[in-house]
Amino acid sequence: MSNSFKIAVSSTALSALKSRIESATFPDELDDAGWAYGVPLADMKRLVARWRDGFDWRQEEQKLNNELPQFTRDIEVDGFGSLNVHYVYKKSDRGTGIPLLFVHGWPGSFLESRKIIPLLTKGSGDSQCPVFDVVAISLPGFGFSEAPKKKGFSLSQYVEVSHKLMIALGYTEYVTQGGDLGSRVTAGIARRYGGMHSKAWHTNVLFSMPPENDDPSSYTASEKEGLARWQEFQRSGSGYFQLHSTKPQTLGYSLADSPVGLLAWIYEKLVSWSDNYPWTDDEVLTWVSIYWFSRAGPAASIRFYYEVAHSGQALGTKSSPPTIPMGCSLFPKELIRIPKSWYPGVGDVVFEAEHDKGGHFAAHEQPELLVGDLRKMFGKGGPVYGVVTGRDGYN
Amino acid sequence: MSVELPFQISIPDSKLDLLRQKLALTEFPDELENTGWNYAKLNQDLPQFTKDIDVNGFETLNIHYVHQKSSLANAIPLLFVHGWPGSFIEVRKILPLLVQSSPQFPAFHVVALSLPGFGFSEGAHKPGFAPEQYAEVAHNLMLSLGYHEYVTQGGDWGYLITRIIAHKYGGKHSKAWHTNFPLATPLNFSVNPILFLQHLFTPYTAAEKAGIERSKRFEKEGQGYFHEQSTKPQTLGYSLADSPVGLLAWIYEKLATWTDSYPWTDDEVLTWVTIFYFSRAGPAASIRIYYEFIHSANGSQPSSFEPTIPLGVSHFPEELRITPRKFVHSVGNLVFQVEHSTGGHFAAYECPDELVDDLREMFGKQGPAFGVVPGKNGYEQRIRANL
Repeated sequence: MSNSFKIAVSSTALSALKSRIESATFPDELDDAGWAYGVPLADMKRLVARWRDGFDWRQEEQKLNNELPQFTRDIEVDGFGSLNVHYVYKKSDRGTGIPLLFVHGWPGSFLESRKIIPLLTKGSGDSQCPVFDVVAISLPGFGFSEAPKKKGFSLSQYVEVSHKLMIALGYTEYVTQGGDLGSRVTAGIARRYGGMHSKAWHTNVLFSMPPENDDPSSYTASEKEGLARWQEFQRSGSGYFQLHSTKPQTLGYSLADSPVGLLAWIYEKLVSWSDNYPWTDDEVLTWVSIYWFSRAGPAASIRFYYEVAHSGQALGTKSSPPTIPMGCSLFPKELIRIPKSWYPGVGDVVFEAEHDKGGHFAAHEQPELLVGDLRKMFGKGGPVYGVVTGRDGYN
Repeated sequence: MSVELPFQISIPDSKLDLLRQKLALTEFPDELENTGWNYAKLNQDLPQFTKDIDVNGFETLNIHYVHQKSSLANAIPLLFVHGWPGSFIEVRKILPLLVQSSPQFPAFHVVALSLPGFGFSEGAHKPGFAPEQYAEVAHNLMLSLGYHEYVTQGGDWGYLITRIIAHKYGGKHSKAWHTNFPLATPLNFSVNPILFLQHLFTPYTAAEKAGIERSKRFEKEGQGYFHEQSTKPQTLGYSLADSPVGLLAWIYEKLATWTDSYPWTDDEVLTWVTIFYFSRAGPAASIRIYYEFIHSANGSQPSSFEPTIPLGVSHFPEELRITPRKFVHSVGNLVFQVEHSTGGHFAAYECPDELVDDLREMFGKQGPAFGVVPGKNGYEQRIRANL
C-alpha cells in the first residue's frame, strides 16, 4: 500500500540545525590555496552565512512537495525484512507513458529527477516524442527512505528493492536510467531482471574492464584523454571513495554531527564533478539539506560503498554484462570515460550520444540533453521503440 | 638568537564554553560530559617552551616544545619527533626515564617539539611546507638550544622527518638516529647483493609472515584517511574543525586500531584528542603534512634520501607496516635492531620501558652508537688526573 508523502522536517530538527550552524567553527586556510586542498574557505563561509540567515528550508520544502508527488511504501527485501521506501512518482500527462525508473547516486538523491520529470512526463509540444511515467526512488539510506539495519545490504539488495518497487506500482515491464551508484544499480537490474522485466537501460556512466585482446594503441585522442582523466581522478579525487569503502562509520560521526562538515563533503563534489554548473547557494543548501534531514541521517548513505566493496561486487570485478539493449549519453566532465573497445563489457549498446557540455550530474546540469537522448532512444524511429509491451509512450 | 619563553597550556574559557555548547548538541552527551581535560597535570609533567624558528623560504614559526635536561651535564642530546595523530604528549612516559642518570645506562637531554601545525606550535601559512621543512624546523630548534650535535628518535612522520635530518644534517649535527617505524623498500641487488640473496633464500619468520599479512590488511582497509588527507585535507578539515565528536572518532579509530590492545582510558583518549581540538593551528592544520608530502618533489622519491649515520630500529609487532627484516637495511646504516613481542604504532606511549631500554642499549657503553656525540656519552665523567 502506498502512502502519499510530504517532506515535513520538524521544527525541533530545524532549530537544532540552526544551533549547530550558529556555533560553526572554521579552520584556517593556506595562502592562495584555491581548490587545491579542497573546498575554499571563502565558499564555505559564504554558504554557511546563507544557511544561517537567508536560506529558507520551509520554502524549499514546499516547492519540492508542490513539484514532486512523493510516496512511501513498504518493500520486502530477502534477508532484511521490510524497508519503508520513499519515491517520487509521476505519470505521463497523456497517452501511455513508458515506465521509467530513475536511480540516483551519491551525493545525489531523488532531487536529481526534479528537472527531467516535467520534460519526461509532458513531452514537448511535438507529439512525435514519447512520454514516460517516472519513478524516482530514494535508495535505502538516502532521502526519506529507511536504511537497512543489518550488515551486508549490498548491490544485490539495492537492485532487488528498486525492481520490487516497480512491480509494486504495477509495472511488470519497465526501463531504467541511472548515473553514479544508480548506474551500478540499473546495470544490476538489467542483469538480474533483464528481458522479463527490465527491457532496456540507459546510463550516463559507463564502466567496464578492458577486454582480453585490448589494444591501447588503437585508442582515439579523446579516449586517451578520458582514461587519463579517470587515472587523475583515482590519484587525487577518490579519497572519499577509499574512506566510504573502508571506514564509513568513522567518517559518519563528522557528517552526522557537523552540518558544515557535511556541506564541505558534498559541495566539493557538486563543484568538481559538474561542468561549471552555476550552482546557486540555495541550490547547494537544498541538496545538502536532503542529506542533513534524511530519514536515516547523513552517515547511512555512505555505507553503500563499504557493502559493495566487501561483497565481491567492487567496481572492476568481472561479471557478465547484461544482454538487454542499452543506451548511453556521454558528457565531457563525467568522471569515467572508457574507450569504445571496452563497450562489450558494459552491455549491448544500441544508442550512444555524445555532448560537448555537461558533467556527472547530467539530469541536473543538462536535463534537456539527457531527456532528448531518452526520447531519441525510446521514441518512434529509435532503436528500442516499443520495448515495453503496450506502453510505447504515445497515444 | 631567538628568545625562549616558558609555556603553560592554558585554554581560554570561551573556547571551553564553545566546546561544551557543541557537545551539548550531540546525541551522546553522557560519554563526553566530563571531558576531564586536565592540562594542569600535563603542565606539571612536561616542562614546555616556545621559540621563534626560521625556515628557509617560509615565514618564521613560533614553535612549542618540551625540553628537559638530565641532571647529568654530559647527557646525550636527544630530539624526539612525533607523528599523526600523535603529538608532544607521546614523550610523556619516556621523558622521566631518559633523563635519569645511572652508571648502568646513558642519560639523555630530551627535546620533544610540536611539529608545525600540531600541538601549540604555529602552522605554516604558505603552501609547500613539506617534510623537509619540518626537518629544518626541528634541526634549527636543536641548534638554537645549543645542541649542535644530537641524536634523534622518531616514529610515524617522525620517522621520515628524522630520516631527512639524518640525510641532510647527518655527520655534522645528527650523529645517529633511532626509529620504531622503518618504512623499508625492497632490497636492490646492485646496492645490497649479499642481503638481496640472503633475503631470497631465507624463509620468513613467523613474525615476518604475520607482519606482511598485517601490512596487506592495512593497505586494503586502513588507508582511506591517508588518501583523503593527502588529496583534500581542507574538505576534511571543515569536519575536524567544526565537530569535536567527528575529530574524536577520526583520531580514536587510530588509537584503538594502531595499538597492541593498549588499555586506553577515556581520559587518556580525550586528553590526546583535545590537544588536537585546542591546538594552536586548529585540527585541520595537522593533516596538511600528508598533502605536502605527496606533492613534494621527494613525495614520490623517498629513496633519494640516503643517510649514512648509524641507525637503530625497534620492531613492534602491531606496527602498521611490517616488512621483511632484511629490507630494513634499505632504510639506512643499520647498526642496531631489536624485536619485541608486544607493542604497536605508538611505541613511546605503549611500551616506554622497552623503547627506552633499546635506546639505552644502542647508546650505552656496550652499544654500537656509544659516544657518538663527542663529549656527551651520557655517563658520569671520571675526573682525570692532569697529566
